[in-house]
Amino acid sequence: MLVTLINKELKAVILSPKFTGTFLVCTLLILLSVFAGIREYKESVKRYDSASQLVSQDLQNQTSWSRIKTKAYRAPDPMQILVSGLEYDIGRWSPVSSQNTAKLKNSIYSDESIYAVFRVVDFTFIVQFVLTLFAILFTYNAVCGEREDGTLRLVFSNPVSRARYLVAKCAGAWLGLVVPISIPILLGMLMILLSGVPITAGHWVRIGLLMGISLLLFTFFVVLGVFISLLTRRTSLSLLTALVVWVLFVLIIPRAGIMSAGSAVRVPSVSEIEGQISGYAKERWDEFYQSMEERFARMQGAKGAEGEVDEELMWSMMQAEDSLRRVVTEEINRHDLKLREDLRQRKTRQENLALALARFSPASAYQLGAMSLAGTNLDIKIRYEETINNYRTQFITFADRKQAESGDLAARMISLSVTDSSSNLTMSGGRDKKALDLSGLPRFEAPSLNLADAVSPAIVDFGILALYTILTFMAGFIAFLRYDLR
Amino acid sequence: MLRIIIEKEIRDLLGSTKFAVTFGVCAVLVLLAFYVGAARHMLYQARFEASQAENLRSMKGISDWQDFDETRIFLPPQPLASLVSGVSNDIDGTAIVRGRGDIPTEDSRYNEDPVFAIFRFIDLEFIFKIVLSLFAVLLGYDAISGEKERGTLRLSFSNALPRRDYIAGKLVGSFLGLMISLMVTISLGFLLLPLMGINMNGEEWIKLILIVVTGLLYVGVFLSLSIFISALTHRSAHSFLISLAVWVLCIHIIPGVSILMAARSVAVPSSDEIAYQKSTLGIQLAGEFEDGMSRFAVKGDANPDKLVSQLNTYIDSLNNVRDIKMQAFSARLNEDRLNRQRIQENLAFALARISPATSLSLATAHLAGTSLSLKSKFADQARDYQKSFGSFMVEKTGMNTGGIIKIRTSKACGGGDDKNKEPEPVNPEELPKPMLSSFTLGESVNPALTDVGILIVYNFLFFAGAFIAFLRYDLR
Repeated sequence: MLVTLINKELKAVILSPKFTGTFLVCTLLILLSVFAGIREYKESVKRYDSASQLVSQDLQNQTSWSRIKTKAYRAPDPMQILVSGLEYDIGRWSPVSSQNTAKLKNSIYSDESIYAVFRVVDFTFIVQFVLTLFAILFTYNAVCGEREDGTLRLVFSNPVSRARYLVAKCAGAWLGLVVPISIPILLGMLMILLSGVPITAGHWVRIGLLMGISLLLFTFFVVLGVFISLLTRRTSLSLLTALVVWVLFVLIIPRAGIMSAGSAVRVPSVSEIEGQISGYAKERWDEFYQSMEERFARMQGAKGAEGEVDEELMWSMMQAEDSLRRVVTEEINRHDLKLREDLRQRKTRQENLALALARFSPASAYQLGAMSLAGTNLDIKIRYEETINNYRTQFITFADRKQAESGDLAARMISLSVTDSSSNLTMSGGRDKKALDLSGLPRFEAPSLNLADAVSPAIVDFGILALYTILTFMAGFIAFLRYDLR
Repeated sequence: MLRIIIEKEIRDLLGSTKFAVTFGVCAVLVLLAFYVGAARHMLYQARFEASQAENLRSMKGISDWQDFDETRIFLPPQPLASLVSGVSNDIDGTAIVRGRGDIPTEDSRYNEDPVFAIFRFIDLEFIFKIVLSLFAVLLGYDAISGEKERGTLRLSFSNALPRRDYIAGKLVGSFLGLMISLMVTISLGFLLLPLMGINMNGEEWIKLILIVVTGLLYVGVFLSLSIFISALTHRSAHSFLISLAVWVLCIHIIPGVSILMAARSVAVPSSDEIAYQKSTLGIQLAGEFEDGMSRFAVKGDANPDKLVSQLNTYIDSLNNVRDIKMQAFSARLNEDRLNRQRIQENLAFALARISPATSLSLATAHLAGTSLSLKSKFADQARDYQKSFGSFMVEKTGMNTGGIIKIRTSKACGGGDDKNKEPEPVNPEELPKPMLSSFTLGESVNPALTDVGILIVYNFLFFAGAFIAFLRYDLR
């Protein structure tokens, strides 16, 4: 009997006029989103390659080990074809030098703001906004529609258990709808395969999991639609309720959850912290210059009777100051890192609350899970800033070593000699003019995301979706047990 | 007869469960949008003031104006920006200003707090664009086809009722019912703003009213569209599906996709390329600077006191020359980039304007001052501030400190006029205040007129479409 019922349900879905329209729209949208995603990814790769080239050319143009600086760029990941996540919101590069600690700046949306007017439409967007809507459209009149048509009592004039009927309804609708979705999804995967994007086995596993969680969200909305159809007896009311619930789940709760966390947990802004950092830095440099003045004054006092300046003494003083300058820079950077770490911890508390509240909606659980799988979630920032700070330490150590070897100094000596007939100003600061020997300079390696790190945060979201689906099904079951079939 | 139809329509609308439920939800959401917008504005205002205070406080560690070389200015939050976010959260909000040279920007809100970028904010524009339009579709989809199904259409026409009166009555009645109820809610929202401490001046209220008018026009487009679709089909289930499909396409798909497609077809030089070209020129100019330094000649007598100030003035002039060359080059690159961006924007938005949602977003963003021009306005104002900052520094120290080489006069060398005078402590309050004005009424309204016009045209189009479609409708 179950098989018969499922068959009937399947046929009802496939033969309904809604089906062709939905199938066409879904195919069009999914393929469009994958196509756009591939195009955007190739654009990101081009951008990244030209940025890396510029970075190497820039390094070759530099002439001083003491003032060497470079930039570290974020590398694009093929998963962003399907889940753009925070890829365009987070800064693309960070300066690497002795003066600055890692800070990602200038996101794509802040540089090319035209794309921020309407955000990127990616695969997860289509799933959340279009597929869930269609799931509801096919199931909102599952039971109450049959009742209005008068066929419900006809079915139950057979020996059919209510449980079987409900399972058949859900399974039939699900099977009938998975087809319009799977075909374009497979075509989309084919598109990605044929586009020449470098996808590894690890990526395919993550893509598979992404499809899994998308189907899970879809299943939830199918079960939800059936449940709502059990709550009322008129299909118009059921449609209304379904739409209101859809708006709440997909549009309102995710945003409302995050926004309430934003006002519940106050976090200082980055500019405040940077004001504090720069205040501390200015104080230290001020002390440094004061002590430099005192040393210079003492050195003046120790001048010979002729009033000449002892070149040797000058150079040794400058070297001593160089190392002192380095000490001050390091202390400022330590303070910088500490304040940023404090800010980071407070932010993490706010973020955790925000995401926990947002997860009340299955649509946000889906979005967050998808972002974890794709590696375009909040961890981008932490991952990169840690890696960049480590790279910076290596980079500076290397530069310091090279500087010590070459005898170059950070400070510059400007000596001005004036005679009766002419004046002569020279500036010196080591061997300034030729390019540096960059062999052996550590290059920045973008951090890669291994499978375990991508999948483990998503497990929570899989669980939430599964829980929601099961609970809704059980609630539907209980509601159906008391449903008036006549 | 027309009046009777209109009255019937309004009464039908206001008395239905459908209306009660959807209006209830929308009213809550509209008020939520106002409340949340006001709260967010207060938060941003507090952060803005804290950043400014911290910036001034950080200067207290300096004892000499000569050591001071950069300051920061911040984009002030606008009350309307929390109702229509536009791009205000995506663009950088901090500009690092030195006496001369480039002005790098940092810290967009979404880069700083990416958790808010995952789902973005609920603002008034979002409620209009997505929720209220869905509301309009729900109210209009069974206007004609539903009455036919219920059998009341033929009953109405068993009277001496001209078709044009009926369809005009339907359209006007639905419009009046929907608009009046929305206006009531929105007025409540208006009251909420001053209650939460947001004080807006007259111009800002005018802009807000215009934003609401644009939103209502937009909702009207979807109402007339769904009634039009209803007059094309004979079963309300069909008209609902078609209206919903159009809704999904217009709001979620067309704007984003057309911008992606069109914008990528125009090549705009990236900020990385421009930075690299500037850095190459910078190296060449630095070489010229060093050559210039070695050509320094002492004028007049070699008095050590005057020597340093002569040197500083000479360095200042070299820096000025370098700055002028770099600025000229920079201006050329930026102008090229801006022109291409303008072409890109025009193409992308023209394509995207197929959907009324684009017109809504663009018009409201212009009115609220959160359109793409916010970015260039901030950059212009930062550059203006740079000039006053530069002249302030010249006044205080005799030279514009925006240069790589800075020569501090050391007391031990006898620099300065009075050998025993302590340098005056730096008073941060003396620093010139940035004049960060918001858009004037003209600047906000003029760019929005095209899109408001498009919405009006769409309204007329679908009105006329519903009219004509109904004239040939099978009433039985």
